[in-house]
Amino acid sequence: MLGKGGKRKFDEHEDGLEGKVVSPTDGPSKVSYTLQRQTIFNISLMKLYNHRPLTEPSLQKTVLINNMLRRIQEELKQEGSLRPMFVAASQPADPLSDNFREAQPAFSHLASAPLLPAELVSTMPLESCLTPASLLEDDTFCTSPAVQHDGAAKPPPPALQAVKDSFSSALDEIEELCPAPTSAEAVAAEPAAGDSKAQPSESDKPEGLPEGRTAEPKLMEPLPGNFEITASTGFLTDLTLDDILFADIDTSMYDFDPCTSATGAASKMAPVSADELLKTLAPYSSQPVTPNQPFKMDLTELDHIMEVLVGS
Amino acid sequence: FLGAGGGNDIQWCFSQVKGAVDDDVAEADIISTVEFNHSGELLATGDKGGRVVIFQQEQENKTQSHSRGEYNVYSTFQSHEPEFDYLKSLEIEEKINKIRWLPQKNAAQFLLSTNDKTIKLWKISERDKRPEGYNLKEEDGRYRDPTTVTTLRVPVFRPMDLMVEASPRRIFANAHTYHINSISINSDYETYLSADDLRINLWHLEITDRSFNIVDIKPANMEELTEVITAAEFHPNSCSTFVYSSSKGTIRLCDMRASALCDRHSKLFEEPEDPSNRSFFSEIISSISDVKFSHSGRYMMTRDYLSVKIWDLNMENRPVETYQVHEYLRSKLCSLYENDCIFDKFECCWNGSDRQVGFLPPLHFSIVMTGSYNNFFRMFDRNSKRDITLEASRENNKPRTVLKPRKVCASGKRKKDEISVDSLDFNKKILHTAWHPKENIIAVATTNNLYIFQDKMN
Repeated sequence: MLGKGGKRKFDEHEDGLEGKVVSPTDGPSKVSYTLQRQTIFNISLMKLYNHRPLTEPSLQKTVLINNMLRRIQEELKQEGSLRPMFVAASQPADPLSDNFREAQPAFSHLASAPLLPAELVSTMPLESCLTPASLLEDDTFCTSPAVQHDGAAKPPPPALQAVKDSFSSALDEIEELCPAPTSAEAVAAEPAAGDSKAQPSESDKPEGLPEGRTAEPKLMEPLPGNFEITASTGFLTDLTLDDILFADIDTSMYDFDPCTSATGAASKMAPVSADELLKTLAPYSSQPVTPNQPFKMDLTELDHIMEVLVGS
Repeated sequence: FLGAGGGNDIQWCFSQVKGAVDDDVAEADIISTVEFNHSGELLATGDKGGRVVIFQQEQENKTQSHSRGEYNVYSTFQSHEPEFDYLKSLEIEEKINKIRWLPQKNAAQFLLSTNDKTIKLWKISERDKRPEGYNLKEEDGRYRDPTTVTTLRVPVFRPMDLMVEASPRRIFANAHTYHINSISINSDYETYLSADDLRINLWHLEITDRSFNIVDIKPANMEELTEVITAAEFHPNSCSTFVYSSSKGTIRLCDMRASALCDRHSKLFEEPEDPSNRSFFSEIISSISDVKFSHSGRYMMTRDYLSVKIWDLNMENRPVETYQVHEYLRSKLCSLYENDCIFDKFECCWNGSDRQVGFLPPLHFSIVMTGSYNNFFRMFDRNSKRDITLEASRENNKPRTVLKPRKVCASGKRKKDEISVDSLDFNKKILHTAWHPKENIIAVATTNNLYIFQDKMN
C-alpha cells in the first residue's frame, strides 16, 4: 500500500482517480475528472486544517495546497458549476490577522462547533437540511449581531429558527469562554456534488452576502439558490495566509469522506447521530488539544444541537 | 553499470552502516542532513533531535589495500535545542536542516549548522596533549601553597587521549521570520547566505548582529502569496552570483553587483510545461527541492519530485538533460498527495570531482545521484546515459560484495527480482545523499541509518 494513512475509502473509484488524469473535455470520463477534482479539493482542505498544532506548518506546503484549491475553484467558476461551497465570513484586514493570530486558541473552538453542522448538512437529505452551514458560520464568526444571512438553501423556517437559536446560544456560551476575534474564519467545503442540483430549485431570492462580510464585492453575482464562489484571488480570500498558518483549528469533527460526498444527492443518508459523531472524535483524541475544557463543552453543546436537528 | 570510457565502471559495494538496528525509529534519530567536508576525511550528519554526529575516516591502512579507511565517530554534539516562540505559541524545531563545512584554514574544523531559525558556526578542535608540570598548580588543578615551592620547572606538553571538542563560535539568530531551508558558503569564504521561504540573507562569518537581505519575495498582501523559495546556493567560483529555486519550478540566478536587493533576477530558468503530462499535481511536482552547482560552475542540477534536471547556465529556456527518477509514480500522484509523500524534499548531488576520463572529445567523469522510496537511490551517468537503482538495506551488508541493481515494475507482469510499485514502502525514503569530494565513496541516509558505500577496488 502506498504509505501510511487512513483507510482508503474510494477504492471503487481508484481506477478513475489513479492511473490516468482525464481532461474535463472527455465525455464519459468527465464524471471521473469531476470526481477526482472534488476528491483532491476535499483532501486539500483537510490538509490545510489538519496540521500538527505544535509547530508551524510548512509555508511551502500551505502555499502549494492553497494554489491547488484556487485552481480548482477557478475551474469550477469557469465551468459555471454551482457548488454550494461554504465561504468564509468577512474578510479580515491585515491588522485583524494579527489579532487573529493572538486569538488563535479561541478560534479553534469556534471552528469546531460550526463545522459539525456543516457536515451534518452535507450528509443529510436536503429536506431535513435545516440550516445551511454558511448561515451557521456567519452566526458563529461575526460577533456583530447584525449579521444575517438568508442562506441559499431554503430550510423549513421554524426548524431554522430553532436551530439558530439553540446553536447561537451555544456559540454565545463558547464565545463567553474565549475572547473571539472581531471576525474569525472558518471554511467548510460542501462536498455534496449532487446537492447542487437540488439547490437552485429551492431558492427564489437573490442572494446577497450578510453584512458581516465586509469585503467581498467581487463575489456578488447573485446566483439564485447557490452560494457564491469566492473571488478569483483565491478560495481563501477571507482567510489570509496568516490565518491558515496560525489558525489552530480542530477539525476532528469534520470528517471528510469523499466517497459519501461524491455520491451526492443520490445518497439517502441517515442523519448522523451524536454517537457516531463522538466515535469520529475518538481517533483524534490523541491529538493534543491544548484547551481541553472548552472542547469538552463543545461536545455537550453539539449533543444538544444534534437533538434539535434530528428533531428528537 | 558503465561509466565513461577508460575503464571507469563503478561497482558499488557496501562498506558500513551507522545507526540503530531497530525498526522502531526514534523521531530524534531521523537523519536530516549529510555532508562531507572538503577533504572527505570528515562526514557530518544532522538529525531531527538537533544533534550533529561527525565521522572521521581512518587513515588508509597500507597493508589492506582493498578497502579505504572506515568512518568512525569523531565527535557528537547537540547543535540546536528546541525553542518556543511565545508570540505564536509554536515550537521551533531543533531539527538540523543543513550542515555546510568551511574549508580548513588551521588545525580546527569549522561547520555551519542550521535549524528553522538559527544558524550556528561550530568549531571542532582536537586536543591530544595537555600541559603538565605547573609550578603553582597540582596535576588535578588545586593550587599549591607557594611556600612549599622550592624548585622551578618548565611545564611541558604530554600526550593524552584524543579529545574532540565542539564549541559554538558564532550564533546567527533572529534574521528569519520563515523557515530556513538552505545555507551556502560563498567562494570568498568570508560570507554566506541563508534562505528561508520568502527571503535570503547575506551574512559575514564574523558578524552575528547584522545580516543583509538580498532577496525578498514576500508580497505586500500575504493572500497573494503563491510561490516560495525552496533552495539557494552560491556559485562555486563567482562570489557575486547565486541561484535560488522556487516552488513553481523556476530557478533565478542573481548577481549581487547589480543591486543591493536582488529582486530582479539576471537569469530565469524555467522549462515550459509538457501539456501531455498536465495534471492537478503539475505544480506540486514541479516544485524544486534541491539545487546544486556543478564543480566547474558551468551547470546546475535541480531536483523536483519525479526528475533530476541538468541546466546549462547559458540556456534559460530548458534543461540540457532530464533524468527520470521514478516515473512510475506519476500515476500515483493522488495517493501520494493524500499521504503527503508528494511534499517529500529529495536532495541530489554530483560526484566528487570532475576528473577527466576522455580526451577526444574531452570527457569528464560525471554522475549524479539522488534518492527515492523503498530505500532505493538512483545514479545517472551523464556520459553513457545509463542509470542504476540501488538499495540501502542491511540485507546487503557484506563488505566488498557488489550491490545488486534493483528494478521497479511499473505495470503488467512483474519479472523475477522486480518490485511492483504497489509494494514499495513509502515510509522508507532516501532524502539525503552525499558523495566524497575526491573518491568514489558515497553516504546515503535512510530514515535513521547512514550507509556508506564505496566502489570495489581491484
